[in-house]
Amino acid sequence: MTDTDTAAREALQAKRNELHIYEPHKANFPPMRPYVRDLWARRRFAYELSRTGQRSGFLDSPLGALWLVLNPLLLAFVYYLLVLVLSSQSKTAFPGAGITTFMHIIVGLFTWYYSQNCMTIGATSITMGGRLILNQSFPRTLLPMSALISAFLQYWPTLPVTVAFYVGFNVIDPQLQGLTWPMLLLPVLFVIQTVQNMGLAMIFGTMQVYFRDTTKFLSYILRIWLYLSPVLWFPERFIGHSFQWILYLNPLGPVVGSVTQIWINGEWPRASFILASVVWAIVTLLIGAWVFVTRERDFAVRL
Amino acid sequence: MTLPSVSDPHLSDPSLVPAEQEPPDAPPQDVAVSMRNVWIRYRTSFDPNPTMRKAFTSMGKKTRERNIRIVEAVRGVSAEVPRGTVMGIVGSNGAGKSTLMRALAGILAPSEGRIEVRGRVSTLLALGVGFNAALSGRENVILGGLAAGLTREEVEAKYDEIAAFADLPDGFIDMPMRTYSSGMYGRLGFAVSVNMDPDILLVDEALSTGDAAFKEKSFNKMRELCEQASTIFLVSHALGTVTELCNDAMWLHKGELIQRGEPKEVCKAYTDFLHVKQTSMTTLEDI
Repeated sequence: MTDTDTAAREALQAKRNELHIYEPHKANFPPMRPYVRDLWARRRFAYELSRTGQRSGFLDSPLGALWLVLNPLLLAFVYYLLVLVLSSQSKTAFPGAGITTFMHIIVGLFTWYYSQNCMTIGATSITMGGRLILNQSFPRTLLPMSALISAFLQYWPTLPVTVAFYVGFNVIDPQLQGLTWPMLLLPVLFVIQTVQNMGLAMIFGTMQVYFRDTTKFLSYILRIWLYLSPVLWFPERFIGHSFQWILYLNPLGPVVGSVTQIWINGEWPRASFILASVVWAIVTLLIGAWVFVTRERDFAVRL
Repeated sequence: MTLPSVSDPHLSDPSLVPAEQEPPDAPPQDVAVSMRNVWIRYRTSFDPNPTMRKAFTSMGKKTRERNIRIVEAVRGVSAEVPRGTVMGIVGSNGAGKSTLMRALAGILAPSEGRIEVRGRVSTLLALGVGFNAALSGRENVILGGLAAGLTREEVEAKYDEIAAFADLPDGFIDMPMRTYSSGMYGRLGFAVSVNMDPDILLVDEALSTGDAAFKEKSFNKMRELCEQASTIFLVSHALGTVTELCNDAMWLHKGELIQRGEPKEVCKAYTDFLHVKQTSMTTLEDI
């Protein structure tokens, strides 16, 4: 008998004798070690659930994949027109009509949409997974996690588009800096944003279970939230103003602001931005995990 | 890497397995399920669709409170079920059978008491296996297996077995499940749950959808599982099935465990009870 056979046999033995204990709970965390172990063992489920969902949606056709890119791009154009109108009213807050503005909106909007998609998909992740929840026992965190993966699968095709526009615009726009050192920070910011998105998906997924019209309100909330984020306006124009606190109070403000600063100005983001985005990401994830994991054993009764 | 078959004698010998990290009051190794004074209550509101708008507009109104009722679905059930038992559960509608099944599967937590379950649970509950009708049978099988904690490789390995067992008409396995008949739905559900190498199989009123040939096949499969020391819980209104398949039985009524013992005796007590109720009702009607 080979070593792998022995290992497999031992693993199966352990599974066969694993003791599950179910006891009453108040709003409280379940035993976290088995919870995290179960979650990790089933990570593949989150991925497959997201993939099959995407495939039955639109990703199975080439046009569907094109739509993923075309949709935010058209939106970027719409918002660009909006900013053109607004900037004729106020020169302080809104940038001019230049290519830099368009580039800024593309980068900001694509980054923003990663979070927005995560919130909208995450909000319905529990109510849509109703049958699965009623029939099988697994860490429910897998469902918002699957929403996060879906949001990522929709986000990454926009990255080459961003790069293509950036390269193209670099030729004609002297303000863009080309390849810069601060860009090394982009992957870090991506991780920070992902951590935060997980927390957001958990918060809105739980809310939707208790209030089924959450998604309706969410569409208004997200629109306002987008306007309060440094997507249509340049973050650095806010710095020093009395209302700059809006940037820091907005959970997604610092991280979106940092990303656009790196792309558009080619400079290191302000330390306060980085610090604020890390703090917001951790706070959001902790709140999300608390809200979700303490209530997830209640979901089966509420669906 | 191939997994050893479950009929391996070493695996069914509990003494070979070290009992580490277990609480001192854990049930003995040969007890598959232990329920100690289990109560399950839940709040039901008559509102199937709670919204913020309603919560907001009904703020300050007292009527909202009246719409919430506490249902005691399971009331103080205690039982130890040894490994290898085929436990039939009978009782009228609303007796708490399905709720108890959900609790054993770890889907609902008990409100009081303690449930200890040893081994991997596979469920075939009343609603199907959590299938998503927009996805194909194949995708659902894979997702179900992954949710149950199998690795991708294990699921792939099991897939052919499951498809062969379900024996759906040509091509249906790759069609969206909304195109399935209820019989095909039931067959695939049963095929998935019995082929997950469960230590404990929970079957809730699911054998009724298949045709006679499939029923025979499922009986044989369940007997085979018993021989491999799996424990089976079978909720059924077909008392014939319970007496034929089970070697132990429980009768639940309004959440309470009324009787446990020989399936024949329990079924007899249950039918006698139903009969008495029926005759008393007819007598009442006669007056």
